[in-house]
Amino acid sequence: SDFKGSYSMEESVHWKVVKKFLGLVSVHNIPLYLIDPLVLGRMNENSHHEESTGSGLNCKYLCAPREFTTFALLDKFWKNEKDAEEEGFQWMELSGKDPRLAGMDGLSGTEIPLHYIFKLQNHAIHLVVFYERSGNFLWHGQLRLKQNADKKFVHFRKLHFGRYPGAYNRPELHLASIDGLEIRVPKEIANFLEEVSHSRFVECRYKEARTFYQVYPEDTSQDAMEFKKKAKDLLHQAAKILNRQEVPFWLSSGTCLGWFRQCNIIPYSKDVDLGILIKDYKVDIITAFQQAGLPLKHKFGKEDDSLELSFQSTGVKLDVFFFYEEDDYMWNGGTQVKTGKKFKYIFPKFALCWTEFLELKVRVPCKTLPYVEANYGKNWEIPVTSWDWKSSPANVQENGIWPLGDWDEVIQIH
Amino acid sequence: MDEWKPNPRAKPFVPRRHRSWLIAWKYRLTGQRSVRRLCQTGALLFLLVTVIVNIKLILDTRRAVAEEELVQDYDNIIPNMETARRPSHGRKVLDIEVYSSRSKVYVAVDGTTVLEDEVKEQGRGIHVIVLNQATGHVMAKRVFDTYSPHEDEAMILFLNMVSRGRILLFTIKDEGSFHLKDTAKSLLKGLGSQIASSLSWRDMWTFVVKKGGQVYGEKHSKSPALATWGDPVLLKTEVQLSSAEDAECHWAHTDANWRRKTFCSKVEGYGSICSCKDPAPIEFNPDPLKDNKVYEVPVAVIAGNRPNYLYRMLRSLLSAQGVNPEMIVVFIDGYYEEPMDVVELFGLKGVQHTPISIKNARVSQHYKASLTATFNLHPDAKFAVVLEEDLDISVDFFSFLSQTIHLLEDDESLYCISAWNDQGYEHTAEDITLLYRVESMPGLGWVLKKSLYKDELEPKWPTPEKLWDWDMWVRMPEQRKGRECIIPDVSRSYHFGIVGLNMNGYFHEAYFKKHKLNTVPNVQLKNVDSLTKDAYETEIHKLISEAKVLDHSKNPCEDNFIPDTEGKIYIMYIRMEQEADFTTWTQLAKCLHIWDLDVRGNHKGMWRLFRKKNHLLVVGTPSSPYSSKKPATVIPIYLEPPPKEDVELN
Repeated sequence: SDFKGSYSMEESVHWKVVKKFLGLVSVHNIPLYLIDPLVLGRMNENSHHEESTGSGLNCKYLCAPREFTTFALLDKFWKNEKDAEEEGFQWMELSGKDPRLAGMDGLSGTEIPLHYIFKLQNHAIHLVVFYERSGNFLWHGQLRLKQNADKKFVHFRKLHFGRYPGAYNRPELHLASIDGLEIRVPKEIANFLEEVSHSRFVECRYKEARTFYQVYPEDTSQDAMEFKKKAKDLLHQAAKILNRQEVPFWLSSGTCLGWFRQCNIIPYSKDVDLGILIKDYKVDIITAFQQAGLPLKHKFGKEDDSLELSFQSTGVKLDVFFFYEEDDYMWNGGTQVKTGKKFKYIFPKFALCWTEFLELKVRVPCKTLPYVEANYGKNWEIPVTSWDWKSSPANVQENGIWPLGDWDEVIQIH
Repeated sequence: MDEWKPNPRAKPFVPRRHRSWLIAWKYRLTGQRSVRRLCQTGALLFLLVTVIVNIKLILDTRRAVAEEELVQDYDNIIPNMETARRPSHGRKVLDIEVYSSRSKVYVAVDGTTVLEDEVKEQGRGIHVIVLNQATGHVMAKRVFDTYSPHEDEAMILFLNMVSRGRILLFTIKDEGSFHLKDTAKSLLKGLGSQIASSLSWRDMWTFVVKKGGQVYGEKHSKSPALATWGDPVLLKTEVQLSSAEDAECHWAHTDANWRRKTFCSKVEGYGSICSCKDPAPIEFNPDPLKDNKVYEVPVAVIAGNRPNYLYRMLRSLLSAQGVNPEMIVVFIDGYYEEPMDVVELFGLKGVQHTPISIKNARVSQHYKASLTATFNLHPDAKFAVVLEEDLDISVDFFSFLSQTIHLLEDDESLYCISAWNDQGYEHTAEDITLLYRVESMPGLGWVLKKSLYKDELEPKWPTPEKLWDWDMWVRMPEQRKGRECIIPDVSRSYHFGIVGLNMNGYFHEAYFKKHKLNTVPNVQLKNVDSLTKDAYETEIHKLISEAKVLDHSKNPCEDNFIPDTEGKIYIMYIRMEQEADFTTWTQLAKCLHIWDLDVRGNHKGMWRLFRKKNHLLVVGTPSSPYSSKKPATVIPIYLEPPPKEDVELN
């Protein structure tokens, strides 16, 4: 290891503050766990080298002079600020709106605590409050300073969590001994760190969706209900399959528009659309769907050009579009069965964010508006029931014709 | 809360002087000969303008009345809390105006109207306003219709609950003396009123006093004759504000008392909660339940603007064994302050909901929003307990649910578990350990399965423009799909609400007052395992085989129909030609004084209840499958519905 464990615990403010803080929370039985990317990163590096150095005197993780240590607090209210105060901590609570009430119904409740910061000498404990959300995931809020807040309380910009809201799987925890302190940490540290880097969460635009439904009232006919139910079930099923395959996917086309515009399935859309990066493609995807009882309906294109898969569920089709990345844009392809014509759908480059949709944690393009506008034009807000995938999209381009000899491979209908 | 604006509807009171001034001007002009012509034209023009102005005024008033009615129905009589707009700190004296007349009352504090009621046929009686003596804020606003009986008792109760030192303002609208009995009069006299004891028919009266202290003013005008009202009176006075310390109690410094202090400085009328010497508890710490299966089940309390009801409800809820306050969320329909104050007093979570639609549809939308939010807040929950603000909760409510909740998971043929037995009256419910399966959905304290809500109810919940009752909709065959609910023989909730949508005093007295509520803690329920679909049939057949057939030649409405025994099982057969024929049942329900407004509590054409401490099975014949057990000689009882004319005479 190139790390020099030359810091002494006795002299490290960092270590002492963490120790004091952990002592405080253990008295009140508050279940915290460590999520500090730097400490966890160091632990992750070291776990590759040796299991344990054995020497208890060596301070490897919590003694380096650092400004913050970050912990997670699960869905519980911190009610012991006064005790922390007595121990000499200065503290700050940052609260915000409860996103679980921010649905379509115009509810508002008491604000909930999102972040706590406990400061002692020149070290601060950043406590991120995680809440359980529909879709079996944990959510933390954005850290926002209110008008009258002390903006210099700590270097807020340097905090590892809170720049954006985040979504995480509920981690399995275990108790680790870190520099002589018993601390709970995520069991799969590498997985957790990977999650941290892709954790950004965006909320559905409920307010706009409400306005949309005022103009275009919800279709509550039996058919519409049934389609929405089936589409939701299919989406849940597809998410389960792809998550198990560890294939990242996002809501695309009509399903993405439905989420973005009305926080719901568009009842006349007739299918569920997902996007996957072509680099994440593997043949196992097809077999996994088939094994789950979703037969392949058609396969258009091939791995290096315009790949598109469709699976058949009862009454609803699942379309999986594979996206190809170019220097300054992304695209996916389409194929017309009769003519062998190819089409290309161009999108501006996008990053992926988590969102909650139909009690599911799924990804969407973070900047959804340019994505939706590329696909549906500036008038995406107006429902269009007759749609032709070859001419209606705003971003469609003709892309030549498949050579006749390839047709058997690139136009498969089952 | 930050979106709430104090007193959004109140407009500063402006005396309508302009009209009389114009009339005077008109007369002056007509007195001058030289300008008679001009005057005639002018007068005509003026008349025209007056007519237009008046028509507009009438239209506006009508619209205001219409709007007021819509709100009133659901909001109940207790008006929204309003706070004097201008901050009164820094000022030591409050200017008070109190006006009393036949058709209008108003109260202004420092120029801000805190009460104004000129709606016709409404707000009759004595209006009472309570001000905080240190801040001048309105802490309570009530109207007691003391023209009607018993309202004076409610007023006594209320006045006794107000803390000493508060400023009380009284004013009469229309009539306030007819049922103002001596006890109430002497209480008012005790407060310092010179007039109260002689207050009589259609007198106008205003009175401002510090409770247990100085009288700031009193004005009165006698009604000259039976058919006329006393002249309007306007009392103008000043009230010296006292220092904040004098207005506060010195309770021990605990979290609970901090909440108490906040509450007591804002609202009044909650009695000993705010007593300085011996305040009523706001934390109850009932015994925990062993092996509590519902500890993590969220509890949604659906509320409107009936803060006193909510207060009573939450007290009983928080006193029930096995309650988990962390899981309780109170959903308030509207941005009302006082219900939220009550929620915060108990340290619970409250959620406010922007009202959607009107009347029944508004309640229905509020239910939907609340249920959706409940499952959002607790994504792991498989169930939710749904309560309303006008229910008392039995001490073993959670114990009852803990013992039965697994049935909802085990048995697909179940729709809900409800704490309420529609037919469980004092004289028809007996066995606190007994449960039934019923084809109706009683509501009033029940458990909803998440999958039922998410997969079936939420997606097709009636939209706001359909003015449907949510509970009627949930009961419809399209939703219930033949599934049943589990209910106890003796209810675990009690419906005490008298004021509300679909509810009035008469209705409550007839159908709810004599409902039985279990008061025994930790009741061990006895037949839980025999409540699943098939097991229940076995149980019923066993019961029927043990049951003694009653003498069908006797009148079932007579007391001697049931022998004077205890602990026996009896069975009777009534006529029921097909599944929907409830002619005889309805008549029987009427004479037994149980729920007869629609059919409740049936299971396959059979009803179970208690009479004189005996279990009674009522089987509809030949529709019910159990009628095959009827001895051939027994002729099913038939009760005739009342003749049609009787109904039409109303």
